[in-house]
Amino acid sequence: MAQRNRFLIPTSCLERQIKLVANFLSRTLTTTCRQLSGRLRRERVRVGLALVLAGMTASVSAGEPSVAIPHGTVELMSEQQSIQPGQPLVLGLHFRLEPGWHIYWINPGDSGEPPRLEWRLPAGLRAGDIEWPEPHRLPIPPLLDYGYEGEVLLPLRIENTAGLAPGKTATLAADMKAIVCREVCVPAKAQLSLVLSASAERPRKSAETAALFDAARKAMPKPAPANWCVAAKDLGDSFELTVHTAAASSQVWFAPLDPLVIENAAPQKTVSSKTEIRLILRKSDQLLKPLSRLHGVLVMPQGAYMIDAPVAPAPTKQFR
Amino acid sequence: MKRGFAGIVTLVVMALSILALAVRVGEPAPNFTATDSNGKPHTLSSYRGKFVVLEWHNQGCPYTKKHYESGNMERLQKEWTQKGVVWFTVISSAPGTQGYVTAEQENDYMRRMNAAPTAALLDPTGDLGHLYDAKTTPHMFIISPDGVLIYDGAIDDKPTPDPADIATSRNYVSLALTEAMSGKPVDTPTSRPYGCSVKYAH
Repeated sequence: MAQRNRFLIPTSCLERQIKLVANFLSRTLTTTCRQLSGRLRRERVRVGLALVLAGMTASVSAGEPSVAIPHGTVELMSEQQSIQPGQPLVLGLHFRLEPGWHIYWINPGDSGEPPRLEWRLPAGLRAGDIEWPEPHRLPIPPLLDYGYEGEVLLPLRIENTAGLAPGKTATLAADMKAIVCREVCVPAKAQLSLVLSASAERPRKSAETAALFDAARKAMPKPAPANWCVAAKDLGDSFELTVHTAAASSQVWFAPLDPLVIENAAPQKTVSSKTEIRLILRKSDQLLKPLSRLHGVLVMPQGAYMIDAPVAPAPTKQFR
Repeated sequence: MKRGFAGIVTLVVMALSILALAVRVGEPAPNFTATDSNGKPHTLSSYRGKFVVLEWHNQGCPYTKKHYESGNMERLQKEWTQKGVVWFTVISSAPGTQGYVTAEQENDYMRRMNAAPTAALLDPTGDLGHLYDAKTTPHMFIISPDGVLIYDGAIDDKPTPDPADIATSRNYVSLALTEAMSGKPVDTPTSRPYGCSVKYAH
């Protein structure tokens, strides 16, 4: 299976390259696609976290208390009912906000900031970064932010090398800071904690939280499939992002992982065919240096995909 | 009385039409004329020869409060205006939105906070905000004595509403002014302007 995919990369890129030769750009983009496929395999490992605990059985568990924040609640949740010595676990930061209120993605866009956690964990436990489900566009003309309205669960992985004796409990605590916004913004702070008892047995999934974790997993950006051919080009005042895929759609948009890359609120011109998505992304006026990689998430109707494409430099004649 | 404020900001029309494209560091800062909270008009081009700071402001925004209630912004205003910098606080909140103030309310606020900008420009139409593509409060711009934009971004590198973060933050505005005044290039000429969205009229 994997071999077949690998075989497909050069084939699909070949068509692309033939076109590009005509545009005197083939050399740059050959490198682009090869580098990309290697990079994607590495990314797959990184993002695969959410699937690690997929095989667990459901069971009943007591819900943890949620903490009131302005215009909503936040709660630290565990996907599993107990903690097994030496085994990682998945926790989630669950927000429920009043209608119209939102929190922010890792790149919040033009305003706001993402939620942050400061952990207090027992020895041997270490918290990973928040894994960000696909963001939603939050337009506040003339600006645009990226974030989540209403309800969202932000999962993260806890590495565990602790040799907890069965029957003992572990308290996982974190100080959370966020900004909750609608037209106006209100800072939110919460002290969150979760108590899990250690058990030598493989932990069972909590029935109460399973649906939330499943939904978060579904909304997690996936590595771009290996048979996609992704390329980015500097056009002077904009970037062109091209994706060759059998699953092309015109209902597609790009969210940059870094700030100061594109003008978030600028319309993204889409030129799509059955096998190709081409997005024209207006550069941020604050981007002063050439960008080496275009890094972000491509949001499509069937889900979101991670994009990390080297940017082919602008043609020599550059009009500004 | 209220209607008067809608027209309080008169922008140089030529600047608007010619430079509608972009405000970009390294390029001439678009010219404007705007009226302050004492009714006095200010034209950017008349301040050639001086550094000019533009500070987008909304007194209800938690990020603005961070810098005012801690005294940080007032301290910066005093420090830099004493060194000859022209400092304009700009309020682009539309009537009925957070941060909108009448001239009297703004003067009252500045007295209460001990704020010390050169002037507070009232921009309820959002024209000046749109001209500079001001995104957040506080969004900061610095214009060099020869009228070129040399900084466009955040006030510092800690994008939070927490005043406790000020002590450990790198203040981009002070750094840029210090560098530019000693003839050095600005090390960080752009940054993501963190804060609340500017409350423009919809």
